[in-house]
Amino acid sequence: MVYIESWDDFVEKSVQLFRSDPEKTRYAMKYRHCDGKLVLKVTDDRECIKFKTDQAQDARKMEKFNNIFFTLMARGPDADISEGGGKEQAEAQPARRGRGRKQQ
Amino acid sequence: MGWGSVVGQGWRYGTLESRLLIPRSIKVRLQPDPFLNELTNMFERTTEKGSVWVTLKHSSDKSKVKRNKMKTAGEKIEFKCLIRATDGKKTISTMCSEVGPKDHQRFQSSYATILKARMTALKKRERKDKRKTADSDKKQDLKKQSKPSK
Repeated sequence: MVYIESWDDFVEKSVQLFRSDPEKTRYAMKYRHCDGKLVLKVTDDRECIKFKTDQAQDARKMEKFNNIFFTLMARGPDADISEGGGKEQAEAQPARRGRGRKQQ
Repeated sequence: MGWGSVVGQGWRYGTLESRLLIPRSIKVRLQPDPFLNELTNMFERTTEKGSVWVTLKHSSDKSKVKRNKMKTAGEKIEFKCLIRATDGKKTISTMCSEVGPKDHQRFQSSYATILKARMTALKKRERKDKRKTADSDKKQDLKKQSKPSK
């Protein structure tokens, strides 16, 4: 399977895949410290979606992605995922801005 | 809290499986907190070589036979989030349910904290470098501009 280059595509396709078959789909994360590489994979054993990165900023995106999948998997495929992500963003952004101002 | 104390001491006095004599191949089901402790240990063990895999799955934690029985009986099957982690040598797992939303959220945030703390080998955003290259480009441009003037 070819790695997906765009993060947004990866998220969208993963959620789609999970919703089409919640009982079979799994989300796996592989982290290799010595090489500094991170691979995310979502599959239902028929289709496989992968994303590879070595950037720290993508780890932050992954945090949101994790939250989406935690919610989907614990609450079921019909769970509203936009809510959780929105709150996270709303909480995270003012904090970052605050730090930025202090530094200036 | 029984499990917590076992794992809490585990990393000080030997690994969990050696203390409980659990073969490496068996999947160890843990409570969320001991799971996070053990996950941290896994990340520490694999800093020089090896990888860590963490898998999330939508699961009812029941056999297919039992699920079918429940379906025919018209019972509602409760699904949870199954989290497995392995370093290739041993596998640990835990269930995370939405029934205790507070625990669920706490687990999510602790998991995120562990990842943040352990994934330090990833490259930082190369802003400074970009600025440097941009600056050097400008310098080169200046040189180019200055050359014709000579």
